[in-house]
Amino acid sequence: MSLVLLLLVPLLGGALAWPAERVNKNLPRLVSLVSLAISLIIALPLLHATKTGWLADYNIAWIPAFGMRFHLGLDGLSWLLIVLTIILGMFAILVSWRGDQEKTGFFHANLMWSLAGTIGVFLALDLFLFFYFWELMLVPMVFIIAIWGHENRRAAAIKFFLFTQGSGLLILIGILALAFLHQRATGVLSFDYFVLRQNVPGGTAGFLIMLGLFVAFIVKLAAFPVHVWLPLTHTEAPTAGSVILASILLKTGAYGLLRFVAPMFPAACHELAPVALWLGAASIFYGAILAYGQSDLKKLIAYTSISHMGFVLIGVFVFNALAWQGVVFLLIAHGVSTGALFIIVGAVQHRLHTRDLSRMGGLWTDLPKLSSFGTFFVLAAMGLPGLGNFVGEFLILRGAFGAAPIVTIAAAIGLIPAALYSLIAIQRAFHGPATAPRAVPDFGLRENAMMLALAAAIIWLGVYPQPALDAAAPSLTETAPGG
Amino acid sequence: MNQAAPLLVLGGTVALLLAVIAIRRGSGLAPAAAGGGLLAALGVIPAAMRAPPLWPNLLDVGGGGFGFLALIIATATLLLIIGAEYWRRAARLPPDEFFLLLVIAALGACVLSVAKDFVALFLGLETMTLAMIGLIAYARHRPEALEAGLKYLILSAMSSAFLLFGVGLLELATGSLDFATVFAAPVNPLMAAGFAMLAIAAGFKLSVVPFHIWVPDVYAGAPAPSAAFLAVIPKIAVLAALLRIGGLQGATLPPAAAQTVTAVAMLSMLAGNLLALQQQNVKRILGYSSIAHLGYLLVAILAAGSLGRVAVVFYIVTYALTMVAAFGVVAVLSNAGAGRDAETIADLRGLFWTRPLPAAVMTLALLSLAGIPPAIGFIAKMYIFAAGVHTALWLLVGTMIASSVIGLFYYLSIIIAMTQKPAADATAARLPAAGRLVLGLVSLAVFGFGVAPQPLMTLVKVMFG
Repeated sequence: MSLVLLLLVPLLGGALAWPAERVNKNLPRLVSLVSLAISLIIALPLLHATKTGWLADYNIAWIPAFGMRFHLGLDGLSWLLIVLTIILGMFAILVSWRGDQEKTGFFHANLMWSLAGTIGVFLALDLFLFFYFWELMLVPMVFIIAIWGHENRRAAAIKFFLFTQGSGLLILIGILALAFLHQRATGVLSFDYFVLRQNVPGGTAGFLIMLGLFVAFIVKLAAFPVHVWLPLTHTEAPTAGSVILASILLKTGAYGLLRFVAPMFPAACHELAPVALWLGAASIFYGAILAYGQSDLKKLIAYTSISHMGFVLIGVFVFNALAWQGVVFLLIAHGVSTGALFIIVGAVQHRLHTRDLSRMGGLWTDLPKLSSFGTFFVLAAMGLPGLGNFVGEFLILRGAFGAAPIVTIAAAIGLIPAALYSLIAIQRAFHGPATAPRAVPDFGLRENAMMLALAAAIIWLGVYPQPALDAAAPSLTETAPGG
Repeated sequence: MNQAAPLLVLGGTVALLLAVIAIRRGSGLAPAAAGGGLLAALGVIPAAMRAPPLWPNLLDVGGGGFGFLALIIATATLLLIIGAEYWRRAARLPPDEFFLLLVIAALGACVLSVAKDFVALFLGLETMTLAMIGLIAYARHRPEALEAGLKYLILSAMSSAFLLFGVGLLELATGSLDFATVFAAPVNPLMAAGFAMLAIAAGFKLSVVPFHIWVPDVYAGAPAPSAAFLAVIPKIAVLAALLRIGGLQGATLPPAAAQTVTAVAMLSMLAGNLLALQQQNVKRILGYSSIAHLGYLLVAILAAGSLGRVAVVFYIVTYALTMVAAFGVVAVLSNAGAGRDAETIADLRGLFWTRPLPAAVMTLALLSLAGIPPAIGFIAKMYIFAAGVHTALWLLVGTMIASSVIGLFYYLSIIIAMTQKPAADATAARLPAAGRLVLGLVSLAVFGFGVAPQPLMTLVKVMFG
């Protein structure tokens, strides 16, 4: 039942936040924040130290005519991602607390509904229900981009919508084919994850279904060459939207690969693995090189996400528990560090009214706190040892080396351009002479507190990764083929 | 009580309306009388379902006939309320005959959907069509409406001519006008020609490619409630007739015909969605969208078997709800006395800021047309995909995916236009209560059944057996 509450609380929070703006401009923010806090209180105790495997389960009939069930389940993997979703969601609300938004109520309603859809994606164990949530989380996000985005928001919203919806249809076809093939083999029509896993078709049919799901998930993950929606979308979205897009929505693609593609189609995945691994390596380089060439700070960060998700793709397709641990870890660390970076860029834009690196420079003298946090999180994203991202990348490379040494070497070389774009970004934004005299306030109490919390999280993940690894371990050993 | 009770009630309503209008035109009683009659016809359906048959040779209400009657009458009722609200604002134009024509057209559609032989089919079709010409051209102060009415008149007459010629050929070959006898007879070239002409007539009414050319002009020219009627009710009735014929013994499609229908379905999906891309007029867009949706429906019709039939019925129910919602928004925003409806995308710009309720309803309707949760269109699209995947119609399923993605673009464009900032001088009058009632009801159904579709599935199963 607590799983249903995890969905209902943000949904209701959103529904309440909308009319709340009539009372007071800050009330929608408060309502959203409180409902996320309640969700967090519900979610946190679900992870027991004593219980492994599936921590909670909820299963009732939904559309009996098709054997579709409202089946939610929580294991360590989904727990981690849901907690990440809730916490980053709270930051997304805090980041625009003082902002002079129009239609605050509708904004927060969309924010909450998008988060609820994402939580649903991480919980659903009926494939059709999964797809339902998958689609559901997009529409509110499209609104956030289209209404509150920057200059080019219309194009960004349309591109985002077309790519994710279009690839979503591949999931739908795949799921339907899977269910009907299962029905033909066993006489039972079901969309349940556990039922379908018993009897996955092999051969060409199995491969094609797997391929459809794979393509849809890497569109979401934004791997090369289907990443084209990401830079524009992440750049044009408002800060809160970018935080959710980069820190949370990208992770649903990786989750789909880990939860559905790899465990359900092990044989077909092994066939596809060489291609997937090289796509991962290509993403690492492509993202890094394009990030290096950007003059728009926000777009630079967007491209680094493509690079980091390349590591995730490699990690998934080497099929061993160590690399998968790294994948999960990197998902969380990337969520924290990139979320923080988007918050910082949002703060810069709010103060200087530009994201253009050539018009920055010398920020450190004017905005020392902002600049030092910025430097810290850029270094974290780069994979500095002692910080969270390093652990994830290291585990992935360590796990991948045994399975695919050449790709691993290539991926490791990809860390060099990562250092390049990181350092050039720090250099151009924070150091050097100032282009113009600025009289803008530095981070205040709210922003400092947010940054400190995120920095503490990334340090904690970096120096003491074991709790997060332990949380994910049981679900990964259960699903990893040949773990 | 007998099975024909709903039809008799509708016929009585027509007589009553004539009397009301004859006694005093513009008394304001006409919409109430029409609405009462439609509701009464809807109300007698449950009793009629348990009654013995009456006219075995002309009408057959078995096999889902009552479901279609209920769907047609319910949709007509909703459109009547929207229409009453729409015409109330046009002071110069007494709308009494509009309601009369609407009830007559609904009666014709009902007869068509339960026809058992070609006489009843033709009677129903012509009753519906002739009344609809009046509905389309009713806004006679608008040249576009007159033009649309004229276009519809000429093309309907042509398609009726095809139908009559086809029926004549079939009668010549088999000596019978009864569906069952005609479709059970072995096919010879004469009959094949007859069937082809029937198919052309059906194509006109369903407005599938290549018989779709009239759609955008007529939809855009007709006043919004009439356009909604035109988009929904004839299609329900013709599909009901097709399903009835398709359920008969020996009515399987030969391979060549199936290939033709496949091509028509693919072209309709692609042409409908591609042609909508460049449009700025919402009624035109909805017209093109209806072409694409009929293409999707043909996929379900081709996917024979029980799943295909259920998919068709579920889809047409969804389509009716959604189109009523979309055209309903245009209608409540428009003024019948004005030179045109609030029908361009520019008219809808900023609607979210000035009038959140119609904007939300329109968004829900567009999401439903695009097949995105939580709107019911998603479940309906899933049905069609399921039917297509189940019967391995991969080419059609592939085309459907491609055209769905194209379709997303123009649906989203409208939604985004509604979210943009309105002009500074934009003012919004309060929506009329009846408009809010219909929009609220329809969007509740679109949303509610999109979240929990099982009740509707059960209802469809009961009503359409």
